[in-house]
Amino acid sequence: MSQFSRLGESFSLSLSIDEAHVLINLVEQLLELLGEGDFQHHYDQNDPFAQLMAMQQEVVAPEDPVLKRLLPNAYADPEAADDFRRYTEPGLRRNKQDSLRIIREELTVLVDNEEAGVIPNLNGEMWLKAINDLRIALSVRLEIHGESFEIFENMPDEDPQKGIYAVYFWLGWLQESLLELLTQ
Amino acid sequence: MSDTLTDIDVTIEQLLDRPWVCIVWDDPVNLMSYVTFVLIKIFGFTKEKAHDKMMQVHIEGRAVVATGSREEMEHYVQALHEHGLWATLQRDDKI
Repeated sequence: MSQFSRLGESFSLSLSIDEAHVLINLVEQLLELLGEGDFQHHYDQNDPFAQLMAMQQEVVAPEDPVLKRLLPNAYADPEAADDFRRYTEPGLRRNKQDSLRIIREELTVLVDNEEAGVIPNLNGEMWLKAINDLRIALSVRLEIHGESFEIFENMPDEDPQKGIYAVYFWLGWLQESLLELLTQ
Repeated sequence: MSDTLTDIDVTIEQLLDRPWVCIVWDDPVNLMSYVTFVLIKIFGFTKEKAHDKMMQVHIEGRAVVATGSREEMEHYVQALHEHGLWATLQRDDKI
């Protein structure tokens, strides 16, 4: 049912309402994990004063394994890693949040307008990165490894995790199909 | 004594000249086609070179994708993290 399409430089995604709900749910969970703060809407984060204030906040390596993977250390040396994180992590976090918010908005419009079923004129590269972030988040929770697909295939239908695995592999397929269109 | 000093000078010089490297690490999540796409986008690699580097990451567990100043490597690591790749930087192991 779900499918990306490309017409010239314009990308669109057709989704069923159920698929859109699954995606909204995932996007919102990741936004929550990344720390969605309403105050961020009210001033320009690139403003020098905002950057100065952000730098004075204590920025330490996250404890949640999903955040550790999405916002990884750049150096093996903890001191250098923390130093780098202080300057770069707020921006990295913000960019991921911004993309997820746009996607949530697009999905919400689709869900509210049940007849259309298509997200038109979407930003292909932004969606590509966001789907990747969602897959990474799920993979950490599911502890995905090289043999996970075989495990999924042999899982009994009543296994409560089977649905989450299915979403994970569906996202991989969706990402691959978008990538093919982007590199055409 | 002067010999020793010369030795130290050379060593320090070598240490200072030793470049930084940007390393991409393997993970079981990122699609091979996606890693190739990101390497082309960030480093301007040819399709062949990007594919070779991706395979090196996949088979050896890591690959050096860029060499240069610390600032340049920090910039690359940041861009790779934006794309969800697991990347780090360090001094080049080799002298």
